[in-house]
Amino acid sequence: MIDAYTIQILVVFGINAIMALGLNLITGVTGQLSLGHAGFMSVGAYTAAIMTLRLHTPYVLNLLAAGVVAGLSGVVLGFPTLRLYGDYLAIATLGFGEIVRVLFLNLEITGGGLGLSAIPSKTNLAVVYACLGITLYVMSKIQKSRVGRALMAIREDEVAAIAMGVNSTSLKVQAFAVGAFFAGISGGLYAHYLTYINPNDFGFMKSIDSLSMVVLGGMGSLPGVLLGAAVLTYAPEKLRFLQNYRMICYGAFLVFMMVFRPNGLLGGTDLRQLVKASFKGLNWGAMAKQGARTREGIGGSKDGIA
Amino acid sequence: MFLTQLVHGLTLGACYALIALGYSMVYGIIGLINFAHGDIYMLGSFFALYLTSVVKMKIAPAFLIAMGLTSLVGLVIERVAYKPLRRSGRLSPLISAIGVSIFLSTLLNMYMGPQTRGFPDVITELQVKLGEIVITTTQLYIVAMSIALMLLLRHIVMRTRVGQAMRACSWDREVASLMGINVDQIIALTFAIGSALAAAAGVMMGVYFNAWWPLMGFSAGIKAFTAAVLGGIGSIPGAMLGGVVLGLVEILGSAYLQSSYRDAISFTILIIVLLVRPSGLLGRKIEQKV
Amino acid sequence: MNVKKLISLSIAALLIVSVTAGCSGGQPTQKSAEQKPPEQKLADTGPIKIGFLGALTGNVASYGINTLKGMKLAVEEINAAGGVLGRPLEIVIEDNRGDKTEIANVTKKFVTRDKVAAVIGDPTTGGTKVAAAICQENKTVLVSAGAVGPGVVEIGDYIFRDVVIDPIAVPAVVKWLKDSLKWKRVALIVSVNNDYSVGQAKLFEDALKKEGIEIAIKESIQDGDTVFTSQVTKIKKANVDGMIAPIYYTEGALLMIEAKKQGLNKVFIGGDGLLSPVLWELAKGATEGCMVFAGFSPDEPDEITKKFIDKVKQVYNEEPDMFHAQGYDAVYLVADAMKRANSADPSVFKTALAQTKDLRGVCGVLTILPNREPLRTPINVLEVKGQKFALKARVPVTAPQ
Repeated sequence: MIDAYTIQILVVFGINAIMALGLNLITGVTGQLSLGHAGFMSVGAYTAAIMTLRLHTPYVLNLLAAGVVAGLSGVVLGFPTLRLYGDYLAIATLGFGEIVRVLFLNLEITGGGLGLSAIPSKTNLAVVYACLGITLYVMSKIQKSRVGRALMAIREDEVAAIAMGVNSTSLKVQAFAVGAFFAGISGGLYAHYLTYINPNDFGFMKSIDSLSMVVLGGMGSLPGVLLGAAVLTYAPEKLRFLQNYRMICYGAFLVFMMVFRPNGLLGGTDLRQLVKASFKGLNWGAMAKQGARTREGIGGSKDGIA
Repeated sequence: MFLTQLVHGLTLGACYALIALGYSMVYGIIGLINFAHGDIYMLGSFFALYLTSVVKMKIAPAFLIAMGLTSLVGLVIERVAYKPLRRSGRLSPLISAIGVSIFLSTLLNMYMGPQTRGFPDVITELQVKLGEIVITTTQLYIVAMSIALMLLLRHIVMRTRVGQAMRACSWDREVASLMGINVDQIIALTFAIGSALAAAAGVMMGVYFNAWWPLMGFSAGIKAFTAAVLGGIGSIPGAMLGGVVLGLVEILGSAYLQSSYRDAISFTILIIVLLVRPSGLLGRKIEQKV
Repeated sequence: MNVKKLISLSIAALLIVSVTAGCSGGQPTQKSAEQKPPEQKLADTGPIKIGFLGALTGNVASYGINTLKGMKLAVEEINAAGGVLGRPLEIVIEDNRGDKTEIANVTKKFVTRDKVAAVIGDPTTGGTKVAAAICQENKTVLVSAGAVGPGVVEIGDYIFRDVVIDPIAVPAVVKWLKDSLKWKRVALIVSVNNDYSVGQAKLFEDALKKEGIEIAIKESIQDGDTVFTSQVTKIKKANVDGMIAPIYYTEGALLMIEAKKQGLNKVFIGGDGLLSPVLWELAKGATEGCMVFAGFSPDEPDEITKKFIDKVKQVYNEEPDMFHAQGYDAVYLVADAMKRANSADPSVFKTALAQTKDLRGVCGVLTILPNREPLRTPINVLEVKGQKFALKARVPVTAPQ
């Protein structure tokens, strides 16, 4: 019953979920809108590919290096830009993603527009789910910790958080680094799965894809992000029977989902609530309301038309 | 050579500025990054292409009808995809906008096919030579048209009652509604005006570069958004300045530096500008209150 | 804390996905020309399935759509003539948006769900490489209609392509430029985000160096660009004999418009990426004199090619481009090998495919070399004249020693 096609979809889901969980820490938990997450993924993918092709290093080391280098690039991007608020940060991260892409298109070591091919195929279902398990564990630990609460305080009201003694810049950079680390891991898995990478595979649309997973599932909620990744990995495949109308329906589907459940499928729920709710006969409405309260004010800058 | 490049940059910048205005207005009022705006620009260009090549219309009426039709589409999109989300978080409308963008571009891809199409010869192209500089009539039309539209918009926003209501909404929607302003109407109007401006840019770019294709909105959208942020999002003069600066940087960057690094150069400049002036060139300082 | 919960959560997530993914088993496969009732698939009597791999939406959709149109024509013809080994051919159509992950998904679906005998596509080199690794692993033949870059057939013995291979064509064309047109100084234009362009430009650089033609200026563009003003200004200043533009037709046409605007009256030459009527539909008069080298020639065609051109015009109401032609030829290439091997089993007919010799197609005569690279001869140099491609020269090529 589980054939290679199903396994394929499961692996892709896993890779997407790891990336989306990383983004969730930045956008969902800390409230910093990032539109350049694919840039981190591509840094990871290229790190792993170049190490394996040039240095013939072992797979596990490649993955780790992919995460570490991507995490470092998160720090490099984070330090100057995290002083920016709201959508100004968003556009700076978008710029970062594009700069990385253009850089990789022009460098010799990345193969330019030809991309890198013949990367050994090492990623399989077990590795992806081991990584996903680790990601979930780390993310859950972070969210439940003192740091996690501080990050959420930054999301709710940065000025108030600073007033309460939260070192917001340092924490935001840390969140960026961790989020980027996992995007890098997912990039490494991706490179070793598809065996071929090209800078154009990590464009703005890829960033948007993972942002959609986070928002659709419900920002800040781990089961939500998992569900978002599952739905958005699976929907385009399930819609194949529509042939030419497939992507039109996918677009309409995104609009419909947001109109129908504006705070994401599991917005504002955490694990405990989900378990409780399933016993109490699923009071979705109440959860959505709670979600709405916590969602206000991301990037809340108020500019007028002047 | 430098001055000619400058003219090219200004023309491109004028178009970016028009698209950026729509971004900026919508952002100013409801705080939404309208990712479908680029596709509205594509749609405006498409209407003009259809009217001039199939209906065989002259460019001037086609231009106006395209603007009208596109603003209608803008209204419908606002009603269907954004209005139900007005009370939810800030990122949900963003995803909804991405859905609209995918919907529009694939719809046109299916209807027209994916290949690039050219416009019929709608403007008799003449070249004006001023010493070293070569200016074409299309360039003159574009720059003049953009300036006229921007002045008109400025007039609407600053001097009319509707404009006053728009500014009130952008300051505080709730208070505005308490003052008897029909906020829903004003938001719808903002979408209509923004869409019409994008359509104008779409027609002009389409004629200038003689190219229309279903995905043309994507990169134009990102660039216009960049321009809006560069100038200070929410600010009308800012959007104009941002558009022109971006157009100039792109043309001069690829003329005097490596053309393959063009986009990287634009974005690096953007990030530097934001670091020095975190709210854009002409943006208002953000007040942080607890 | 709740490590247990986490584990159970991940298992739950895994279950949700596997259940939903598993449901798609009952999803109907799409059929192209012949609509057969969904009967039990019998190994030897049912239709022979061929997977179409390409984008029908997204950035590279124009290549995929035209490849598919060519394939459909070939399949209709073959089926009308009684099919292959007494069985009709059937194209399984999936859209991959040009996205690498989707290419992998679709290819996996082809080889495991649809159990296709061969996959035809992807028109892009990068996409082909992703699909090729999967096809090789699952022992399914892949014939790429469009992948011209390096490192494709090296992936394995199930991987083929039916294009004009640049390493063979480019040196021949450059030699012709030197001998016939006496070019000494050229500009080279490359689209940096297009692997076709980057690969071909590298070959041009080597060949130009070898023939002693100077590259006065190297300019880069990107696919999706519409603004080429600075590039053209720079090329105009460099004072060259001609421009070598290994790019695709959309950017090519827009570049030529800009060149004409700025009064750069020199000739462009490019590969089969420029071979499309879109060139003059967009650029009108600005394309006059532009040259294209390709295996496919709409001018002075032989009988097979003429029939094909008429058919495309009749069925789709458009002029064929190289993607129509390559898709069409790829189906015939596969059908021919199946007939000679007397089997639709990929592990059997792949040997016959590798021994293809002098197969007449619409893109010239095709021979598969011992290294499984295709050799197409001759190479046609076409010139745009009065909004039509006119044959300018036939450049003979031989297999590299």
